[in-house]
Amino acid sequence: MNRLTKLFDKSQIVLRNINSELKCHSLYITVNSAMALTQVSSNKCCDGYQKVFEHDSSELKCKMKFAIYLPPKAESSKCPVLYWLSGLTCTEQNFITKAGSQQAASEHGIIIVAPDTSPRGCNIEGEDESWDFGTGAGFYVNATQEPWKTNYRMYSYVTEELPRLINSNFPADPEKMSISGHSMGGHGALICALKNPGKYKSVSAFAPICNPIQCAWGQKAFSGYLGPDKSIWESYDATVLAESYSGPELDILIDQGRDDQFLSASQLLPDNLIAACSKKKIPVVFRLQQGYDHSYYFIFSFINDHIKHHAKYLNA
Amino acid sequence: MDVFEVRGRLDVIAEELASEEEEEEATDEDVFEQGSSDVSTHTQQMKVSTDSLTPDRASAVCDAALCFQEQLNKRRSKLSQKIVEMENFASNLEEIFITVEENFGRQEQNLEQHYNEVLQTLSQRNEARAAALDEQKNSKLECLYGQLLRCGQTLDASKELIESAQELHRRPDKHGFLQAVMPVMKRVEQFAGEEVDLKLGVSLDFQVLTPDLSEVRQMMESINVLPAPSAPVMNPQIANSATDTSLHVCWSLFSDDTVEFYELYWRLISDDCTMETLQEVSQLKVKETHCTVSSLRPNAQYELWVTATNTTGISPASERAVYMTVPSPPVLKPRQCVSSLNAALIRWDSGNTDPVESYTLEFGETGTDGSGTESIVAIPSCECLLQLQPQKIYILHVRAVNIGGPSDRSEPVHISTTGTFFHLLEDTAHPSLSLSADGLTMFYLDEDLPISHMTFSDNTFNRCVAVLGDLVPVRGQYYWEVEVDEDAEFRVGVAYEDTQRNSHLGGNNTSWCMRHILTPSRHKYEFLHSGWTPDIRITVQPLRIGVFLDYSRGILSFYNAALRQHLYTFSCHFLHYVQPCFALDNPGALTLRTGMTAPAYITP
Repeated sequence: MNRLTKLFDKSQIVLRNINSELKCHSLYITVNSAMALTQVSSNKCCDGYQKVFEHDSSELKCKMKFAIYLPPKAESSKCPVLYWLSGLTCTEQNFITKAGSQQAASEHGIIIVAPDTSPRGCNIEGEDESWDFGTGAGFYVNATQEPWKTNYRMYSYVTEELPRLINSNFPADPEKMSISGHSMGGHGALICALKNPGKYKSVSAFAPICNPIQCAWGQKAFSGYLGPDKSIWESYDATVLAESYSGPELDILIDQGRDDQFLSASQLLPDNLIAACSKKKIPVVFRLQQGYDHSYYFIFSFINDHIKHHAKYLNA
Repeated sequence: MDVFEVRGRLDVIAEELASEEEEEEATDEDVFEQGSSDVSTHTQQMKVSTDSLTPDRASAVCDAALCFQEQLNKRRSKLSQKIVEMENFASNLEEIFITVEENFGRQEQNLEQHYNEVLQTLSQRNEARAAALDEQKNSKLECLYGQLLRCGQTLDASKELIESAQELHRRPDKHGFLQAVMPVMKRVEQFAGEEVDLKLGVSLDFQVLTPDLSEVRQMMESINVLPAPSAPVMNPQIANSATDTSLHVCWSLFSDDTVEFYELYWRLISDDCTMETLQEVSQLKVKETHCTVSSLRPNAQYELWVTATNTTGISPASERAVYMTVPSPPVLKPRQCVSSLNAALIRWDSGNTDPVESYTLEFGETGTDGSGTESIVAIPSCECLLQLQPQKIYILHVRAVNIGGPSDRSEPVHISTTGTFFHLLEDTAHPSLSLSADGLTMFYLDEDLPISHMTFSDNTFNRCVAVLGDLVPVRGQYYWEVEVDEDAEFRVGVAYEDTQRNSHLGGNNTSWCMRHILTPSRHKYEFLHSGWTPDIRITVQPLRIGVFLDYSRGILSFYNAALRQHLYTFSCHFLHYVQPCFALDNPGALTLRTGMTAPAYITP
């Protein structure tokens, strides 16, 4: 038995060495099943590759897919990474097929990683009942309430497991990370940045849910995932986090469609975030875009500005 | 040269020559003597030494021989020098001789000519006199001939009368005789009563005209005397011989006249048609054929002429030449000069009331001591756009040029190509704005200044309290920063040079600007063009705004320079060059910071 474990360890070491030598973006297979990545698809796009991978997530305890765009520069050197968090009802597909981010990512030499929005196939009761809670609505929190707390740990997945995975399997520069997202993903990007000062070089959002504890969506999700303790709720609220933020200077870019139905339905509440950031002197440029709604057409229209915003800090 | 002078000179030369020859002979003799004495001593030494030849002695002998050789060589070279000098002297003498001969020949010709003229004049006079006398003779003869005729006639008449009287006397008829005798007697009486003029009608004397020989006298006198000089010839102005207050005037003799001194006259030529009287003429007595006239006006034309004078008299005036003084140096205007990374637009004042022909701009990098100076010539107007290297400091001078030459260098101006440099243009500023001494800060002090106290012009803003800056007219990239007070309501951006002065910045389609409005609750920011702005909220108030203009990409971007935060970018296709514009909507201050290169985060 000892001999076998020793052999096992040795082979692991050997394989890890081989992996670390391989720099091109081909299939990476390791013996450790927890780190196993399977390529689901690969399409050449803008001289780079749009790929989708699947893996067993240790945080979420299920198989998770994520999309990754590798720009042409990744063939020869390490690239910074932009994490994109999608909104309610999305999977890893929506962003890569609708947002048109590949052109700018290719030009600026940035890897874009877009995970799924919640754990899938966990067979939790009630997970598919609503479109704004459960499946496709992870809200990027670590749930504390049953039956969600085992699987619904999207916060840790996004801030810890996924970066580790990306850094060890792809030519990613571990020091250069930024985060962005849309709607619920915008909320996710903002809280990840505010809760981890210095981890992300820049943050931006499209129509984010800025103050979830004050809006219907947030209240529904937080009460379900986090229970009645309002202090835990506040720890996942961008407006509250901004009011007590202290850390390296941020530079936040937010685009909001003026004709967004959810804006008028008071789900997004950007004014609260702006007020908090003004008070705490957190630099934000908030653009109210006339005529635009909540859809991916809106994201497509301004994604280049956001990638340029991130590139300024990632390529500095 | 005068014959006497020449003679005098020849005597002197002869003396010199004689004395030189003696000297030379003496020196030559000395040299030879010395040389020969040396030789003899050396040979003696040699003789002595050869008697007892030891190795030491032998070497001594060799040394002596060498020494002896050296001395010989020296003597030889000295002698050859002397020969050369004498040859030169001989050739000089030849030249002098030839010149004297020429002069003599010329004088001879002169005299001959003179005498010929005198003779001619005399013969002319003579002829004239002879002709006059001839005329007189003819008229007298005519007169006499007439008289003669009359006499003849009278004679005939009296003869006739006598005959008729005789006939009558012979008539036998006494009756008839008595009848005819009375009238005949009357006639005879009448005739006898007539006086016969027997005098000559004409005098026998001839009037001899005394010819006018004064001219001849004059000519005779002038033969022995130098001719008065003929008019000298003014030389055209030599290039670069003039300064702004002086002219170097040259002339030459028309022929080889002897001249004691010249008199130079000059007068300012005034273009001013309102001056009816001519300017005063100034004059100067000069011995040489050139002169420097000073205390003149710069960039002015002067009319100059000269006369030559010798003991005989003054020559006629030469033709008038026009000389021009060089202009005053121009005055560079550092406030109106603008530069960028690779170009600069330099402006200056002419420095002269009248126009000049062109300007020359000289520039070089500081620290090169003028070794790398470049010049741009024939600049027609008071400004010049130049291409320069980035990240350097240049020192520039300008000169004004007219036909007299270039002026002195102007005071220098320093131009930096480390970034975009410009100043606020005072003549576009709204009267309520006052600019700092360095042209980089604007103050809007009193909002309630009455309009009557303000002086507007066509170029000043009259509604918006605004002012323009200036950029190099090149379609490149420019970056500058604006520092504002916390509560300043401002507009900063760019506008076309002809943007409407009676409208607000950003309110028309000829200006683009970022505007800050202070409301009781918050700061409001607008990015205005044609009166329209996007809806943008900014949480951290920018107090140092970076403005970046890129003509080729057609963008105008605004940044919070302290945070390196991008605020907004206009996408605009600029049809003309634009100028930076600044305005204050409430009392406050705004400072311009120029001269920096665009930070790296702006131009990746």
